[in-house]
Formats: sequence, structure tokens, C-alpha cells
Amino acid sequence: MNQIASQNAPSPRVVIPHYVFGGLTWLAVTLLIVFNPDAFTQHFFNPELLAITHLLVLGWITMVIFGALYQLLPVIMEVKLYSEPFAISSLILLGLGAVLLAFAFWQFSFGAIMFVAATFVVVAVGLFFANVLLTARSSTKRVIERTFIITSVIWLLFTVLAGLTLAINLAHPFLKTSHIELLKLHAHAGIVGWFIQLIIGVSSKLLPMFMVSHHVNTKKLTFAYYAINIGLIIGVVSLFIQLKFGIVMSAVIVVPGIFSYLSFIYEAYKKRVKKQLDIGMKQSAVSFMVLVIPFFLIFSLLFNFKFLNNLTLPLSVAYGSAIVIGFITSLVMGQTYKTLPFIVWLKVYRGRVGKVVLPLPKDLYSEKVAIAQLWLFATGFVLLLLGISTSLTNLLISGGTVLFLSAALYNFNILKIIFHKPKKI
Amino acid sequence: MDTEEKKIFELLREVVDPELMVNIIDLGLVYGVTYNEPEHKIDVDLTLTSPGCPMGGLIIEDAQQLIEASYANFEVMINLVWEPMWSIENLTEAGKEALGQI
Repeated sequence: MNQIASQNAPSPRVVIPHYVFGGLTWLAVTLLIVFNPDAFTQHFFNPELLAITHLLVLGWITMVIFGALYQLLPVIMEVKLYSEPFAISSLILLGLGAVLLAFAFWQFSFGAIMFVAATFVVVAVGLFFANVLLTARSSTKRVIERTFIITSVIWLLFTVLAGLTLAINLAHPFLKTSHIELLKLHAHAGIVGWFIQLIIGVSSKLLPMFMVSHHVNTKKLTFAYYAINIGLIIGVVSLFIQLKFGIVMSAVIVVPGIFSYLSFIYEAYKKRVKKQLDIGMKQSAVSFMVLVIPFFLIFSLLFNFKFLNNLTLPLSVAYGSAIVIGFITSLVMGQTYKTLPFIVWLKVYRGRVGKVVLPLPKDLYSEKVAIAQLWLFATGFVLLLLGISTSLTNLLISGGTVLFLSAALYNFNILKIIFHKPKKI
Repeated sequence: MDTEEKKIFELLREVVDPELMVNIIDLGLVYGVTYNEPEHKIDVDLTLTSPGCPMGGLIIEDAQQLIEASYANFEVMINLVWEPMWSIENLTEAGKEALGQI
């Protein structure tokens, strides 16, 4: 008999603080957008945008992903998490590191604070890396989802080590390559190598499970795996040695890989047993549609169309924002409703069946609030993107304000889920 | 299936998959019920829609407690089975309707 996944679930004390920290950081980031719209109208190598980006990718997205993965690794690999103390230590170090790193970028100071912050982040990722690898080692499941997750964690470690190298290089220059190109290398290793591959690994297991889709062609995922990793390695090397042809080739190889994954998800959607999508899945669907924007922008930027010359800088910022806010943030918000209620539900109701009124996991949050959050998010994101593309500060402030309202509703639902109390019969 | 086994089968309609919001009988998750009166034993063969289903533990616990509440002096065993693998064909007409298949 197989061990059932819920028996392997880690303590909710390990998982839940990640969502709280992440949710509050996302709220803080939206306020930073409202009060510092100019960060999005300059060259992307500016103190405020670097601070906002690092808070967003480390304090919000990576933080929630770490928490969700501690819950999902046992589901995907069908074994217990290797170490809960590693997970708690990693949470503390990542939280401290993200805040300190953002502060150091804001001050544009590349001294002791930045070095300490970057070290905290590297150690946090190192602990996470060890936890994932040692968990995977005890699993007998040799599936493509597992390979994606392990590879994504290797890219995460590479990304933070590259970030630490960049921080040292800013204070004591020793690399010949320009900082702008190194920043692109660091960003793409993180976005494609870590975030997108991790999303593929987790979602290709979970989305068919949530939609109850069987017999989906996993060869599409195998193609995606090789295309993304070969393309990304070519891209990273080409950015380092400044080979324009290699950079274009990298995009030409990576993008079909991502399309192959999207085709897998679409097939799962078409073959789904559960026809109606809940709010968490609807927001996830929105995030996949948003992916069209960065695909369009990356080729527009790489092919240097003359009529776009004056727009190169705003479109570069729009490209990054469309991926990090439009795609990843939206997906994380949507999937929160597919993970957190189940984690709390299991904690509250395990062993209490028949003793208390048993609600459904979706009853732990307000669906109306979640719907409002989704609409506000979509509106705020469109305004933000228009503001970035046109460099109009008022549009950026409006976008930031609407995103703030969306983030506030998201936090309301997170707290409602976490503080859920059972009703006695 | 004897009368008592049919009763247990009907009783299990009260166990709902929390993700799909459909009971486990209409989902076709229950493969068999064996009622052994002389030995005071009840065996239920049950599967899940996916081996990784995070709600599996709760479904099993729910089914076990429900039967134990109605058959106080019986030993209830819920056996998790993976053969044959669950598929869409297992859904009853009511299950298909609840999931929007019809």
C-alpha cells in the first residue's frame, strides 16, 4: 500500500509563516510602487527599482514558494520533508536577507550591510537546496516534475551566488563584463532557471491533479526541460562573453520550451474532469494569459526594431514587470487559494471528523474578496504596465494604488484562513 | 453485495472529496465493501483520484469514523488500493453531472 500524501505533510508551523511574511511583503511592495513611481521610469539599474525587485522576488515570491514547496514536496515525491529545522532557519535568514538587501539597494550602499544581507540569502538558499535534495534522494519517484524541481533549485543557488558575486564586484570590481550585462545574466538565471522551471515542475503535477486530468502527454515536459536548460546555459554564457547571436539563439530555444509546457497545461485543461474552475484556478489562468506579453516584448527588444528605439528602456522594465508581477505574482496569489486552505484545513480537522462541523477548504476564505482581489489585480497590472510603457507617473501611481487594494484583500483572506476556528456540532 | 454491504455503500455517500466537492461513491472511489458478521469485520477497498492526493488521509479517516459510528462492535478496515487506477469511467451519472461532465 502506498503511503498517502497527507501522512507526510510537515508541521503547519513551518509552512504558514512563509505565507504571512510573503503576503505582507507584497503589500509593502505595492506601497513602495505608489510612493516611488519614478523607479519605473528610469533605467532599470536604479536604487529604488533594484530594492523593490529584490523585495518582490525574495521576500514575496521566493518566500511563498519555499513555504508551499515544504508542503508540496511530500505530495510530489511521496516522502516526508528531510528537515523542518532547516526550513525554519532558512525562513528567518531569507526574511532578514531580503529586507536588508532591499535597504542596502535603496541606500545604493555596497558595503557591509549588502554583503551580510547577500550572505544571509545565500545561506538560506543553501539550507533550502540541501532540504530539497535530501528529500528528493529518499524518494523513489523518478518523474520529470522531480527533475524540474531539482534543476530549478540548482539555478536558484547559481542565481544567488551570481548575485553575491555582483555585490562584491560592485564594491571591488574584478570582472570585465559590464554590470548591466551581469545583471541581465543574474535576472534571467533567476526568472527562467528558478521561477519558471520551478513553476513548471510543481504545476505540471498539481494542476492536472486539481482539475483531475489523466493521460496528459508528459513528453511535452521532457522537451520543455531540455529546451529551457540548453537555451538558458547558452544565454548565460553569451551574456557573460557578450555574444549577441548567442543571446538571440538562447531566446529562440527557450521560448518553444515554455510553449511546450503551456501546451501540456492546455491539454490538461481540455482533458479535465472537473469542468468548473474555482477562483484560485481562474487567477492562475489569468497569469498564464499574461505570459504572452513578455514573449512579445523579449523578441521586440532582441531584434532592435528601429521604431522602438526610444522605447527600449521602458519596454525592458515592462518586460521584467510583466514576468515578475503579471505572471509569477498572479500565479502565486492564485495558487495560495489551492494550497493554504488545505494546509490549515488539515491542521484544524485532522482527527476531528464527526466532532465538529466539517466545512470545505474553500469555506475558509471569502470567495467574494478573492474575486475582488483578482479584478483589482488585473486592473492594477494593466495600469502599471501602461504607466511603465508611457512613463506617465499618474498611471503608475494609479496602478500601484489598485495593486495595493488587491494585496490588502489578499492579506485579509490569508489572515482569515490562518485564524479559522472550527464550529462545534 | 448483500443488504448490509449495500447499506454501508449508501452510508459512504456522506463522505465528500473536499477538492472536488462530490461524494466518494459518485466519484467511483469505493471499489468494494465486505461485511463479515461472524468475525465482526468490515473491509472497504477505496482508491483516490491521484496517488498524491493531499486529502487522502481525511477521506479515509472520514469513511472509517462514519462506519464505526454505525457499526459500534465491528473492526473497520479501509484499504487504500491503486489497482485498477481510478479513471473518468468510474464516475456515476450523478458524479458526472456534479463535475459538469453532462
